[in-house]
Order: sequence, then C-alpha cells, then structure tokens
Amino acid sequence: MSAVAVPRTSFWRTFWTNAVFSPRTSLGFMRIDFILGTIFVIPLTQMVFFAFVVKLGSAGESASAIASAIAYTALGNAVATVTYSSVFSVAQTTDSEKFQGTMEHLLVSPANRLALYFGRGLVPILTSLATVTVGLLYASTLFGVAIAPSSVPSLAVSVILTAVAMVGFGLLLGGVALYLRTSIILGNVFLFVGLLFSGVNFPLSQLPVPLQYVGYGLPLTWGVAAIRASVSAAPLPSLLELWGAVGLAAGITLTLAIVLWEVFERRALSTGSIARF
Amino acid sequence: MAASAPAYTRARSTVASLRLAVLQFMADPQWLIPSMIAPVIFGLVSFELFRGYGPYFLIYAILGAGMMSMWGQTLYGSGWATGQDRNFGTLEPTIQSPTPYLYVVLGRVLWNVVSGLFGGLIVYAVVVGAAGQPPALANPLASIALFVFVMLTLAAIGVVFAAFYVYTRYAGFIQNIGEFAFYVGTGCMFPVVLLPFAVTPIALVFPPTWALDALRYVAIPGYTGFGWGLWGDVAGAVASTAVYLAIAGLIFRRVERQVLAKGNLSDY
Repeated sequence: MSAVAVPRTSFWRTFWTNAVFSPRTSLGFMRIDFILGTIFVIPLTQMVFFAFVVKLGSAGESASAIASAIAYTALGNAVATVTYSSVFSVAQTTDSEKFQGTMEHLLVSPANRLALYFGRGLVPILTSLATVTVGLLYASTLFGVAIAPSSVPSLAVSVILTAVAMVGFGLLLGGVALYLRTSIILGNVFLFVGLLFSGVNFPLSQLPVPLQYVGYGLPLTWGVAAIRASVSAAPLPSLLELWGAVGLAAGITLTLAIVLWEVFERRALSTGSIARF
Repeated sequence: MAASAPAYTRARSTVASLRLAVLQFMADPQWLIPSMIAPVIFGLVSFELFRGYGPYFLIYAILGAGMMSMWGQTLYGSGWATGQDRNFGTLEPTIQSPTPYLYVVLGRVLWNVVSGLFGGLIVYAVVVGAAGQPPALANPLASIALFVFVMLTLAAIGVVFAAFYVYTRYAGFIQNIGEFAFYVGTGCMFPVVLLPFAVTPIALVFPPTWALDALRYVAIPGYTGFGWGLWGDVAGAVASTAVYLAIAGLIFRRVERQVLAKGNLSDY
C-alpha cells in the first residue's frame, strides 16, 4: 500500500491562517478588552506609578531636574510596556496549547514552522506596536517628553524593530516553556526584569558591572536605547548602530526560538511526553 | 421555612477550606514565585531610585513592595480561587452546600494573609540585602502590627473580589489591568498626598490607603500624610474595612441567590 502524500500548504497560507486563528486559539486569552486594557490602561498607570516614585525620590531637587527625571522614567516605561503582549502573552501560548490539548497535533503537523511562529506572532507584534505608540503619546502629552516631528520616522523604525525583537524573545521563552511544566514563572520573570536591567527607570551604568552585562543580554535594553536615541534626535550613525543591535537581538532570539522548538519537538516525538503538565 | 445551617458547620467549613488551601500550597509551593517576582523587582527599582536620599526612603521601597506581594497573594489569590473552583467543577457543589460560600472563601483568605506575610518577608530580605542595611524604623513593634493590619485591609478587598468572581469572569481582567491603578490609588510607594487633590476621594475608597498612611506615620519620623494624622487614619482604615466586609457579605448573598436561580454558574 502506498502512503498518501500530504498536500503541502504554502508558507503564506500557513502564516495567514495562524495569524487569523491564533487570537481564537492559542492567544484566546487575549480578548479584545484585554488587548485594549494592555494598549491604553497599563502604559498610563505604569508611567504614572513610576513618575510619582521618581517625584518622591527627587524631593528637594530643582523643578527642572524633577521634570527631567520624570520624563526619563516615563519614556523608559512607555517602551517597557511592550513586554505585556510581546513576552508574557507569547510565552503563554505554550501553556494554552498544552491546556487545550492541541500541542500534540501541532507537533505532528507538517506545517512550515517559521510561517507558523511568525503567523502566531502577528497579533502580539501589532499589539506591541500599538502599546508602545500609545505609551509614547502619553509620554509626550502628559510627562513632558519632547518628541520633535523630524524624529518620528526614526522613532517608528526603532519601535517596529523593538516590537519584533521582543516577540522573538517571547517565542524563545515559549520554546523554553515547552520543556517546563508552565510558562507563568518564566513569563513573570521577564515581564518585569527589564524594569531593573534595561535602563528603563535609571541608566544601566548605575548597576553593578555584572548586572550591566545581564542588561546587555536583553533585547529590551537595546530597544529602549534606540528609542531614547530617536527621541533625542541622535545622529544617523549612532542610530544605525543601535538599530543594528536591536535587529541582531531580534535575529538571535528568533533563530534560537526556532532551533529550540525544533530540538524540543524532536524530543517530544521521541519521548511522547511533551504535553504533560 | 428553610432551616438555617448550624453555626458549627460554618466554622468547620472555614477550617476545612483553610486546611485545603495550606495543603494545596504545600503540594506546589512554586506558585508563590510568580506573585513575588514583580514586588521584588519593583522594590529593587524603587530602592535604586531612592538611593542616596536618606535612610527612611528604604521604608517606602519595602512597604510598597511588601504591599504588592500582598496584592499578589492576598487579593489575587482570594479571587483566583473561585476561578479555580469553576475550572475544577467544584464551584457548583460548593455553592449548593448549606454553608454560605463566604465561609469557604474566608478560609482561603486566612491562608492568603499568612502567605502574603511570608511574601512580604521575602521582599524585605531581598531589598534589605540589596541595600546592605535594615531600614530605619522609628517604632518597630507598632510598624509590624500596622503592617499586618495593612494585610487585613487588603484581605477585605480580596473578599469583595472573590464575591465578584462568583458572578463575573471579569474580576481577573480588572485585577490584571487595574493592578498599577491600585498601586497608584493606594499610594503604595509614595504618600497619597502627592497625587492631585481631585484623586484623593477615590484613593480613600480603598482601606489600604488609610492603613498605609497610618503605617508611615508610625515608621517615618516627620512623615507628612493626611491632615487627620495617625489615629484618623486608623479609624478610617477600620471603618472602610468594615464597609468592605459588609459589602462582601451582601454581594455574596445576592450573587449566590442569583446564580442558583439562573443556573449558569459554571458557564465561561
């Protein structure tokens, strides 16, 4: 008896199907109210929270120094809110697949993995872009961050690169979570760790040197630096350098994510135990 | 006439619920970690932002982060437990039992208060470790007592959330999205008097706002909080906590009646 050949679907069909269906399946927890809250409420409240912490910490300093410190923190947090949809939500998709019992089906599917993961990342990338954009609007209108119209194009490039790099990082964590019992702990760690190690609230140089290296290993650090440079209208060569760093971080995380998924897939197929909780 | 459940049944339900919460925690204590990560990181960030501004600023970082860990354990845990009941399919039998559901939730809340205190202790150890010295407390014993009191005021909110969880699936959404708003509103890392005056009435709706202000009056010499001072804060915290508990009791009764009438308890 000859084996029936499985029809191959195109890369773009797999990409599009996953982009359209993931909000109803593995990203099912990202309901519209959740997405709107992530885009409009979380950036504002997070920025307000840290602005008041900075205000308290800067008591006794001049008004301009306080305003400058608040603007620095607000801009950092506007970018850092990208982690909610790009890292936490994407990493949680592994848990969703396991919980819904679809992980085994996914693992035996012949679909192109690259198309599959990029397709699933589309909604988080768009949500991340919207979150950072709204965060930057808040930073500009409420927290005194001066964004010149001429710096908007370079800012757009920085924001897009950061969103892609962070979703790649989320996929990488999702790959690690494939092997773990749950992604919640991992997701929680990397949801907030950037606030400490990525120059969000204070310059990285304030940290001890070993911790600075930890920061340099996180894509968010380079994303924050690129967006700060864009806002301050830094010259193109230094912007290109930072974009290169963010792009490199995106490339590394996405490659690692795909390699990791492949390794764990092989392991899953050989042991038959990957969907266990 | 419907017979009311005997009193001992309610106490026994609370003890059984407390015991189950302890056993569930002991079986898988890793769940303390997710609710500890954010407070520890926020504590370290604020410590870094307050660095060099005097010994009492460390208290802001520790109190704020400690309260966040309580939010995670006490409030989130209490509300989430109902969602878990719904997941496991145990919500309907529990609600149908003669003991009011409030007494089951109470047992969980009691354990969450204890684990929240434990979380606060971990935050304290990490932030103090980073600072290299313990905070300068003006009145350590009263500060610890008020810290526990802050926890109880949070637990009162947790009970209200738990009641909403029976009726709606949106309590989790409100908790997640409203987390930072709650931190701002209660002034967990800065005095509420720093907020615009128009926001103060909203902040005063939350019992922890009063309790935290009282705690800072005791712990930080020369602290400038609400004009009514320490005892005004304590009275406000007690009164607002009592109001929350009364509201929770009322909501539980009405919600239980409504879900039994509609029969849609386990719907998602």
